[in-house]
Amino acid sequence: MRPVGLKDIYFSLIVAFTLYLLPWAGFGLMLRPDFVLLVLLYWLLRAPQLCNVGTAWTLGILVDLASGGLFGQYALAYAFTAFVALTYQRRLVLFNEWQQAGYILLLLLQTQLTLLILKLFAGSDLPGWSYFLPSASGVLLWQLVVYSRVRVTGIKDS
Amino acid sequence: MATLQNHQPPAFFIRGPSPFTRLSFFAAISIALMAVDARLHYLTEVRQGFAALLHPLEVVAHAPMAAYDQTRDFITRQSILTQENRELHQRNLLQSAELQRFHTMQAENEHLRKLLGAVQASHQPAKLAEIVHTGRDPFTHKVIVNLGSQQGIMAGQAAMDEYGVIGQVTQAYPFSSEVTLVTDKDLAIPIQIERNGLRAIAFGSGHDNAIDLPYLPMNVDIREGDKLVTSGIDGIYPSGLAVAKVARIERNADSPFAHIICTPTAGIENHRQVLLLAMATMPAIPDETRKPPTPRSRHASRRP
Repeated sequence: MRPVGLKDIYFSLIVAFTLYLLPWAGFGLMLRPDFVLLVLLYWLLRAPQLCNVGTAWTLGILVDLASGGLFGQYALAYAFTAFVALTYQRRLVLFNEWQQAGYILLLLLQTQLTLLILKLFAGSDLPGWSYFLPSASGVLLWQLVVYSRVRVTGIKDS
Repeated sequence: MATLQNHQPPAFFIRGPSPFTRLSFFAAISIALMAVDARLHYLTEVRQGFAALLHPLEVVAHAPMAAYDQTRDFITRQSILTQENRELHQRNLLQSAELQRFHTMQAENEHLRKLLGAVQASHQPAKLAEIVHTGRDPFTHKVIVNLGSQQGIMAGQAAMDEYGVIGQVTQAYPFSSEVTLVTDKDLAIPIQIERNGLRAIAFGSGHDNAIDLPYLPMNVDIREGDKLVTSGIDGIYPSGLAVAKVARIERNADSPFAHIICTPTAGIENHRQVLLLAMATMPAIPDETRKPPTPRSRHASRRP
């Protein structure tokens, strides 16, 4: 596995953020996976010495700015998810692909739940079940990455 | 805590503070930010500055869409164009006839108002803006339009399309501004029932593309199909713009209020172009009513 530099990380994060900025509307907006979070999780799990809670928080602030919502909600949700991801990062070597996907799904759902709680505190209505669709599409995207042989742990299956 | 420490790896490598320390630090900052943003509204300028910085990235993100639109516009078939042209001509004829009537009526109205000595109805200039994208937050109903504070747009302006009110500008960034739609939970519009002139306030319901009319008693004189128009008493929306149509009235015995659900008249999710109306200049308030009542006069009024 090629060693990763900070440049790779920042470049991919900027690309993910640009994907987030694309003019999504209607069904696409409902399905849109959280690109920034997915790329963040990838780097958090692969290179935790370069990408940490602080990186997640900064990206969260950027997403907050772009979304125009309450300042700091995405930052808090991303930082919290980054913390959980890092806590179990070392065990990831033992997981197979499907366990890994389940782990990512849990992390994505956890981020959305944190956001939901924060928004309910701020006085939003309870959204429908479609609110959690981005997590599902996010895991699908993650599986695509797995099948394209970019391993998080760098260890090939036997 | 001591048992937790045992699970940490030995400090062979410099790793900085532990993830938990970092999490607490950043969580504290974000909670502080949220509190400041929600309660004190200090961060508007900061946000506008950052929005200006993000603008180039947004332009890059929108470039593929813009290119697609341009090519699609370019290869639109001629037959479609001619048909559309014919329809527009017909509509133009119809409307010009009505416009002529409108002009004479406006002149007549002005004359009558002068006779009455009433305040002149204010004329509000409008700017045509284009919707760039819908809001990124699935919880709110907002659109971003391509005019901003550089083009003289201010927060508070009303936005409408050819059929009626679609919302209000809630934040003006340097090159774009955010329009909150009438269906958003946080937007309220003072309205009037066109049929009988009853005044009320309409709130967006936040879901199902609907508008609510809360706090009206059970026996209120509203029927299904009634048209709601702006009343114009807020100084933001000119009076008489169509807002919504009453779709359903539910009168439950367990609630003192009628549950009235309306559908917006404007094509809230259909159009690319919106009109942003300039803020109405409030008519001059006569001096004697503007002056705060002096203690003596209040005293006098209290004891007739």
